[in-house]
Amino acid sequence: MESLDLYALQQSYNQNGVMLCFNGPLTKSLIEEIGNALRNYLQNENASASTAMDVFAAYIEMTQNIRHYAARQGWNDSQAIATVVIAQDEAGHYTISSGNIVDAEDGRHLLNRIHGLAGMDKAQLKTAYKEQLRKPREEGAKTGAGLGLLDIARKATRPLICSLRPLADGLAFLSLIVVI
Amino acid sequence: MGDLKIEGTASTPEIICDYQAGSLKMSGDSYPENSFEFFTPVLDWLENFLCNTNTPVTVSLYLLYLNTSSVKALMDIFDMLEECFGKGRAVSVNWYYAAENERIAELAAEFKEDCTFPFNITQLEE
Repeated sequence: MESLDLYALQQSYNQNGVMLCFNGPLTKSLIEEIGNALRNYLQNENASASTAMDVFAAYIEMTQNIRHYAARQGWNDSQAIATVVIAQDEAGHYTISSGNIVDAEDGRHLLNRIHGLAGMDKAQLKTAYKEQLRKPREEGAKTGAGLGLLDIARKATRPLICSLRPLADGLAFLSLIVVI
Repeated sequence: MGDLKIEGTASTPEIICDYQAGSLKMSGDSYPENSFEFFTPVLDWLENFLCNTNTPVTVSLYLLYLNTSSVKALMDIFDMLEECFGKGRAVSVNWYYAAENERIAELAAEFKEDCTFPFNITQLEE
């Protein structure tokens, strides 16, 4: 195996304004720990309390969505693999990006849903959020039942960016980028 | 039936339900992965209390951040209160927030839009 070029990695992170990144199996306690680090970073960078809250909220919804999806697929903790990157762009906006492996069919469904949200204005998103909040939970559902993406879309300052890369065996890699 | 006390953690709020006083208090962050399961004892306690007493109910909230599944659980609590208020029960919610935490004040205001019982949103003194 070729040795990892850490300098190149560091240069790439710096060029992209990466504050924090994670790649690997996502556990409940890791979500908490990385979340704490994220809150501290944001505080040290003097982000406004509202911006810090929006970045943290997007991070929590995205990572918990990934774990819920893995659980629904019957995958164990070590299979709930995610790539999470939090960065700040030149204009000062924070971006929260997450990538995870999904069933290709589920991926297409999600992609359509996210593209649908991207076409909605803030008032439409609020209406959709309240409608979703009022929907009864599905049988056996233990989570927020589809509120997460709507919440992120409401907090984002730009339409959500989503893409799907096909992989072997009917799987795909789903990328989601949220700008706060 | 008695009181219910749930210790707070990094991702779950401290919850204190006082049967004698008719009060339910929640404080801290709320982002459990499985909010439905986490809030079930609270919903059960409240349902029991509302069915078995006529004591006025006061809900005091000092929450900082809620994930969407906690928002959903909180809506279930408010729905229960709304139903009893409609039948003449004395019900009130007092939501307290720190001045810098505008986001939680906005969330509280959005909840208030859908409630007809007394719902006070109060900024905490520095």
